Amino acid sequence: MTIPTPSRRISLDTWAVFLAIAAALLVRTGILKTVPW
Amino acid sequence: MASSVTLPPPRTRSVAGSFLGLIPGILLLAIVGYAGKVIEQSIARYGKAHHHVLPNIEYVLWAILIGLAISNTLGVPRLFRAGVATYEFWLKAGIVLLGARFLLGDVLRLGGVSLLLVFIELALALTFMIYLGRGFKLSPKLTTLLAVGSSVCGVSAIIATQGAIDADEDDTSYAIAAILALGALSLFVFPLVGHALHLSDHAYGLWAGLAVDNTAEATAAGALYSDAAGKIAVLAKTCRNAMIGFVVLGFAIYWASKGQAAAVTSKGAFLWRKFPKFVLGFLLISLLASIGFFTRPQLVAVGNLSRWAFLLTFAGVGLRTNLRELGKQGARPFIVGAVGEVVIALITLGLVFGADRWFHL
Repeated sequence: MTIPTPSRRISLDTWAVFLAIAAALLVRTGILKTVPW
Repeated sequence: MASSVTLPPPRTRSVAGSFLGLIPGILLLAIVGYAGKVIEQSIARYGKAHHHVLPNIEYVLWAILIGLAISNTLGVPRLFRAGVATYEFWLKAGIVLLGARFLLGDVLRLGGVSLLLVFIELALALTFMIYLGRGFKLSPKLTTLLAVGSSVCGVSAIIATQGAIDADEDDTSYAIAAILALGALSLFVFPLVGHALHLSDHAYGLWAGLAVDNTAEATAAGALYSDAAGKIAVLAKTCRNAMIGFVVLGFAIYWASKGQAAAVTSKGAFLWRKFPKFVLGFLLISLLASIGFFTRPQLVAVGNLSRWAFLLTFAGVGLRTNLRELGKQGARPFIVGAVGEVVIALITLGLVFGADRWFHL
């Protein structure tokens, strides 16, 4: 069965952007001081 | 895009349950990726301690090889599959964070050159693949999927196009299998060709970003050459990804005009839906890095976060590649894909040589 409905879910892309920006802000605010590699 | 969607199945797991279900697979990605890093460092340490000059094989290749060995011998147990499938999520987060390692000026300059080459590559590759598919008498929609997959953006483009042109799931599986198999091959072939031709990091990265279809494989093929080549490959591939909406929209309108796909009601909304949002995230972080929002040590930390995200991605590239399954998909789509890939690789190599001469990459 199908129904005509627009998708309002946040895409994987968008979640990845949110996570990355949150991580960058953790570094900027000094909560995450060093990230070794 | 189709205006109707299938009703979702009744929810049997909570959000927390679904999230917990990802953890084993993400841990497996981390273990495989980290094992690759340990092997790289151990070989380097051994060479240094014993005064041997050993080839520096990046952790990228080790992570992919360990993943391939697991998925093609033991197989990936069901418990881990959901988490392993998150590798694309880490890829996109890694690309956004990679913006910290690019000044916006470099992005615009190299991005401008890449975009110019992407336009040329797109026009040539789409035309060539469509004629090739017709020549091999593939179904028109399978030909469309292969053309989009090999000219724009691999699996993401194929999935986006499937929805937009109402293609069969079988055709989609064929196209995805062909693109993934060829992507796996390119991981080994591209660095060899790059070294044989003594390509610079910039030229090789641009070539990998233009010619390798799937973003994960393009990133890995670049990183296998060098860190700098990996950065350029991601930038060039990101430019290709940015075109996905326009190409899919073009095909959606074409198939709708033939009455074989749902009509596109709002082109702007369609483009926004298909546009890869991580491209915007990448530009934002690059802009912040360029205006001094981060100190130098913070830029290093953000850049390292992107490396950890890519480590999970590369492990996923190996773990989700099942060579036996890919082999089952039949010869014709694979042959069309392979011929197309070789021709596109040669065309893009020519474009990169030209760009290197004119723009001094």
